[in-house]
Amino acid sequence: MLDEILVGDVLHRARLGGADFAELYVERWRRRALRVLSGEVKEATSGIEYGAGLRLFYGTEVVYAYTNDLSPERLLELTETLVKLKGSAGQVDTQGQGGLDFRKAVAQGLHTPAIPFTARDKRYRLERVREAEAGAQVSPQIKQVQSNLMEWEQEVLVANSDGKWAEDRRVRTRLYVTAIAQDESGMQTGVVGPGLSVGLELFDRYSPAEIGRKAGMQALTNLRAKPAPAGSMPVVIGNGFGGVIFHEALGHLLETTSVAKKASVLSDKLGEKVASEVVTYIDDGTTPHGWGSSEFDDEGLPTERTVLIENGVLKSYMVDRLGGMLTGYRPTGSGRRQDYTFAPTSRMRNTYIAPGSTPREKLFEGIEYGLYAADMGGGQVRPGSGEYNFAVKEGYIIRNGRIEEPVRGAMLVGKGPESIKRIVAVSDDLEMGPGMCGSLSGSLPVEVGQPHLLISEIVVGGQA
Amino acid sequence: MTFEEARDYLLQKAKALGIDAEVLATHTRELTIQAHGGRVEEITQATQGGVGVRVVVEGKTGYAYSEERTPEALDWVLQEAHENALLQSETGGFLPAGSELGRHDLLGEGLSAPLEQKRQAALELEAGLRADSRVKQVQMTRYSESETQATLGSTQGVAGAFRNGYALLLTSAVMAEGSSLKQGYEFDLSKEFHTLEPGRTVQAFLQNTGRLLGARPLKTGRYKAYFEPKAFGQLLGMMGWFLLSAKNVLEGKSLLAGKIGQKVASEIFTLVDDPTLPGGLASRPFDAEGTAAKRTVLIENGILRTFAHNSETAQKMGMENTGHAARSYKGVLGIAPTNLFVQPGQGVKMDEGIVVTDLMGLHAGANPISGEFSLQALGLKVEGGEMAYPVENFTVAGNFLELLSRITALGTELEWNPMMGIVGAPMVEVAELSFAGA
Repeated sequence: MLDEILVGDVLHRARLGGADFAELYVERWRRRALRVLSGEVKEATSGIEYGAGLRLFYGTEVVYAYTNDLSPERLLELTETLVKLKGSAGQVDTQGQGGLDFRKAVAQGLHTPAIPFTARDKRYRLERVREAEAGAQVSPQIKQVQSNLMEWEQEVLVANSDGKWAEDRRVRTRLYVTAIAQDESGMQTGVVGPGLSVGLELFDRYSPAEIGRKAGMQALTNLRAKPAPAGSMPVVIGNGFGGVIFHEALGHLLETTSVAKKASVLSDKLGEKVASEVVTYIDDGTTPHGWGSSEFDDEGLPTERTVLIENGVLKSYMVDRLGGMLTGYRPTGSGRRQDYTFAPTSRMRNTYIAPGSTPREKLFEGIEYGLYAADMGGGQVRPGSGEYNFAVKEGYIIRNGRIEEPVRGAMLVGKGPESIKRIVAVSDDLEMGPGMCGSLSGSLPVEVGQPHLLISEIVVGGQA
Repeated sequence: MTFEEARDYLLQKAKALGIDAEVLATHTRELTIQAHGGRVEEITQATQGGVGVRVVVEGKTGYAYSEERTPEALDWVLQEAHENALLQSETGGFLPAGSELGRHDLLGEGLSAPLEQKRQAALELEAGLRADSRVKQVQMTRYSESETQATLGSTQGVAGAFRNGYALLLTSAVMAEGSSLKQGYEFDLSKEFHTLEPGRTVQAFLQNTGRLLGARPLKTGRYKAYFEPKAFGQLLGMMGWFLLSAKNVLEGKSLLAGKIGQKVASEIFTLVDDPTLPGGLASRPFDAEGTAAKRTVLIENGILRTFAHNSETAQKMGMENTGHAARSYKGVLGIAPTNLFVQPGQGVKMDEGIVVTDLMGLHAGANPISGEFSLQALGLKVEGGEMAYPVENFTVAGNFLELLSRITALGTELEWNPMMGIVGAPMVEVAELSFAGA
């Protein structure tokens, strides 16, 4: 995307200015978004995002600059400005030889889409979205359906003063359907939104009509649901997107961003038992076509499969370059950023609790009164205290081992390190679900996942 | 190509193709200085901008944008915008006629202090926090500033530009006392760098987070709630604005649809949005379509007076355009608040209940369509008119419109918060809400 000599020049000038390490990140996005509400195209947008981020290290001190003027003059000027911003503390390397000899890493096409961004016209896309909408009309009580189709194509180049040069092309497609059901008691929503690192073949993997139908059914369930109970009780969390609880309550605590500053309650705990022994927790950036997969991370390292917790014992953190320097842990290909406007930090990719051996039905046996959180919404965590909260999107009361009436508005709250010790059984039905994760380096596509599992006690915030 | 050249290129091409077009170009400069462990840990300097077009073809509206400003990229933008427009089934789209709006500077020299002073501000904030032995970790401390220039032009004659910006001190840290840990944050936001005082932000943090240490579980039940301005501002910015946006009303998502002139809140509740507020952080001379700024009373003594409109929603609903059009170069025409605030009242006298100091998880736990919320909160138990002790691990739940109608008292002082837009609120007393804890 950028001339090799220019890239070499920028990195070399940064080193001359005293930086120990320099990294240039260049990207170009093409994006399309289509929002259809009740049959009408409400928004159809397209866009090009194009820019570069330059990161310099002086020891572990970082300066970062970004711009979307990528002319040679402006890029070199930016480099000079950045070096000056740092002041004169750095060692000036007047002996620098320049002319970096880049070792080029080429993506193997592990996640290359079958149907590229440029294929098919806009009418084709609109027809698929309309199928989803028709699928959601499961009852006259479905008053509205909103569908969002998002397509991204991102070309990335990462080059650094160690001679690394990595290029990647990432294509992602997601269809997100929200159904609204209404009766005299009020309005409720159902949301289903599969997404993968694929092109329009997403519609072959997930039929639009089926996506719509699921969203419609969930809205209907919530409509007849009663307000959730409040109090402390056993909770069975459903598979797939249910994994968001451990993304929040556990995953964020294992990123070196928090660990290096000892801002995570799980800092300095490698080799220690931090969870119940039925818990094995994995972050995998290599899953073919995974929503959170890529061949290289945003620091140019190949992504990998990282076992974070094995049978309850903490095995690894998620480590980026800076996190690695600060903690001494080996980088795990976890350096990610939303786009060129962010410096990378350690982030999750596709993170899940590995399957266990308890059959799903057994989880419910023996629960006198509890909550079945069949599907989850988003949540939040404060890594310093481990306090988290997240919303139940589809929930049911468990009574004497049986799944009974639906409830809505439940919020699960607690402290992550306590909750993972209270996982008493894990089923074998692992599923993944896509989401967007917001943190220091922006909003990123990630998958969360888990099999059905049982937590012995958790605070449910409800209204009743 | 510069941004203005890109704007002119797009307008000329559009005219040649016989397409009505509106071009918005923004250019932002940002500086962030992050302190950690007594030194500057990270400095980010940024320039970012782009051009976005809204076109109307045969009464149909389409959008596209680019950050790359080459003729090829801009030609792609016009072509995609044109195709996007033709996908619409809805006709009746139009671009408002406009005029020369002039160039305005709402920032002046507010950010012109030397870099060294800004580094010091970040370092002093961090050092001040560390000086208190109860502060266990300082997770993030930063000074940041932002300066934006926006340029608007259309084939219908709109032309104008303005410059605005702010300076911000922000910190997030953990305090500990015994086995009790609390993470909190604090900020100070201003259009003038020299009005920021790190020492004041340190004191505010120690006060606001320190008082939550040693929190006890809260017994599940119904309590009177006293929302502090920050907590109420979060709820209002998230739920209130959603309900008042005419776009959501037209899309059938607002519980306030059809309620103009009706009582929707307690009679002591008046809600205003004012882009003309002198020195207001979200003040601006005109909106994203070139409609001149004016003050709007949305809810007056509990009565819903108007929704917030842009030209499109105003025409569809046959109401007056309140000038709330909002658009980033990447986005589509929307509706956004400027300086949104609750008119202060006669004061709050506490007796029994819960002071809600902060809310968490709003994106997941507050559903503006149903109006229902169930949110993790931090707070203090009030007994016999005094703040008795802090409470934790609980949620507060209810329906936002019911909450508005149950407001029984409002504090006398307005406090501005930038958490969910720029929202101002006093202390808000609510008769009774459901709290879930141990």
